[in-house]
Amino acid sequence: MSIEINTKDGQVTITNDVIATIAGGTAVECYGIVGMASKSQIRDGIAEILRKENYSRGIIVRQEDDKLHIDMYIIVSYGTKISEVASNVQSQVKYTLNKSLGLNIDSVNIYIQGVRVAKD
Amino acid sequence: MTAEKIDGVALTNMILAGAHHLTNNAKKIDALNVFPVPDGDTGTNMNLSMTSGANEVKKLKSEHAADVANAFSKGLLMGARGNSGVILSQIFRGFAKGMDNKETVTVKDLAACFDSGVKTAYKAVMKPVEGTILTVAKDAAKEAIKLAETENNLIVLMEKVLAEAKASLKRTPDLLPVLKEVGVVDSGGQGLVTIYEGFLAALKGEELPESSLELEMEEMVNAEHHRVTQDFMNTSDIVFGYCTEFMVKFESDKLAENPYDEEAFRQELSEIGDSLLVVSDDEIVKVHVHSETPGTCLSLGQRYGSLINMKIENMREQHIALVGESEKAVSKELEEYAIVTVAMGKGLKALFESLGASVVIEGGQTMNPSTKDITDAINKANARNVIILPNNKNIRMAADQAAELAEVDAVVVPTTTIPQGITAMLAFHPEADILANKEAMDEARRQVKTGQVTYAVRDTQIEGIPIKNGNFMGIEDGKIKATHQDKAETTKLLLQEMISEDSEILTILYGEDVDKKEIDTLVAYIEDAYEDLEIEVHHGDQPIYSYIFSVE
Repeated sequence: MSIEINTKDGQVTITNDVIATIAGGTAVECYGIVGMASKSQIRDGIAEILRKENYSRGIIVRQEDDKLHIDMYIIVSYGTKISEVASNVQSQVKYTLNKSLGLNIDSVNIYIQGVRVAKD
Repeated sequence: MTAEKIDGVALTNMILAGAHHLTNNAKKIDALNVFPVPDGDTGTNMNLSMTSGANEVKKLKSEHAADVANAFSKGLLMGARGNSGVILSQIFRGFAKGMDNKETVTVKDLAACFDSGVKTAYKAVMKPVEGTILTVAKDAAKEAIKLAETENNLIVLMEKVLAEAKASLKRTPDLLPVLKEVGVVDSGGQGLVTIYEGFLAALKGEELPESSLELEMEEMVNAEHHRVTQDFMNTSDIVFGYCTEFMVKFESDKLAENPYDEEAFRQELSEIGDSLLVVSDDEIVKVHVHSETPGTCLSLGQRYGSLINMKIENMREQHIALVGESEKAVSKELEEYAIVTVAMGKGLKALFESLGASVVIEGGQTMNPSTKDITDAINKANARNVIILPNNKNIRMAADQAAELAEVDAVVVPTTTIPQGITAMLAFHPEADILANKEAMDEARRQVKTGQVTYAVRDTQIEGIPIKNGNFMGIEDGKIKATHQDKAETTKLLLQEMISEDSEILTILYGEDVDKKEIDTLVAYIEDAYEDLEIEVHHGDQPIYSYIFSVE
């Protein structure tokens, strides 16, 4: 599946992978995030932190009647305020996708798949 | 309280002063906010977080330092708002941990707290971005640790910590390009400096004036400009065309008639413009606004006094100039990466170039380029890292030698056919380092099956198969798989060998001896015989080989 944008000079097609990669790259730069997780942890191993090239396994881009929705599966750091970390990811992902692809994302849904307790 | 030790009461005072000072400066910190999302709420968020921490401390009223720090940490965590608020809560969570249940705190303890705070804060992020509040906290903590070895006076320590935090804050634009572009320092870092200012003032027993923050109007204006330019790309999208800046020197007789009210004034201006900044003290008000009617803005200001230092700029003209400039800019800088490859035929050359090859050396089966040819190509590529794809096993040696001789980092991915070269190029990743690229490209080129159709130049016998002069041969990865006097028949036999149920894509590069009709017939045949196969056809224009196939 991909996103198509019509311009006067022709069509631009952006695959979901592109969106997922940008969203994932943005998310891991957010404070409090320790990684992206796979959406199906049972199959892929418990709380596996995804490498960059696998971000799309933890990010789902859905298009429903012209509206874009992104589901992101993340692991956060223990001791942070999870709701705030999630809302930061939401606003930052929305902002970055809008700036780099000109896309307006209707919702960014965050699924916290794990909490990483840092060793002292 | 002495200068050597502080207890819970003193720590409470420090925290309250820090929170109070932050409250007074929250708006200015908001104006600096361009990173990570320029939504102008860093100051507000930090302030709300800090206030929540301070309230817990106020409720506790303890003389035990560690208890105070823990209450502060808990309050911050509960009230954490926004990115900067969460980071702040982590810094002070670590700070409280570093207190180690001590009733009073010495210089050494305080330094350890700062250090512990930084460590905790860094742990909670996968990719710390330098040039932010994290960096400011880290530099300040480092200074504290260094000083604690020789110093016993807490005021001196806090002075040094604050000085280093300020210095670090000044360096943030060098670390974070977006800040430099806008010409501001990091907003979160500024927030932390503000809190430290409060700490120091409380230690010294001083009162901080309202809005003592050394924040230039200029910085805030820059931030406003940047936020606006981010929102449009076309000159015609500029709604408010004139950037207007002025100061009004209050005059008492005018004020008697028109009492000055900052909120009301700001409200009036916001109705005729945006990117608004109004900063005032007892004598002067500074205004920055984007508006279509700069005259009206000036008139509004004039009601309170006389105008000084006016500046009005036409932003549409500026934008046009800016757009023109950026189009002209051409980089002649050293490239990070270049790919040097070898191919024969105009079509193949164009194909490689379109995939991003910097230099394509003319050569192939019957015309192997020399080591010098490849060395020259490496120099011409003008890059820090060069990847060489020989695309032929006879060129491999020359390529290896050239890579060794090269003054820059050069590696050879030992591709032996054109399709391998093409596939290797697709696996190239400009952000990965050269060895990772070499590995990935080598891995990719192994996945490709290459087929070639060419003709025999003399009677011969290879692996028991007799071949007559002029007959066609179908070769798969160096092994002759088919031979026939008819080209089309040879091609079909070869494809039968190469294509299996798992094959997904067939790429055809047809040579200079193949005409349009011939390729159309072949494609029609393949589409018919292998329904599920995706076919890509390119005019390679290569000599010797009528067809080069790759199957993936």
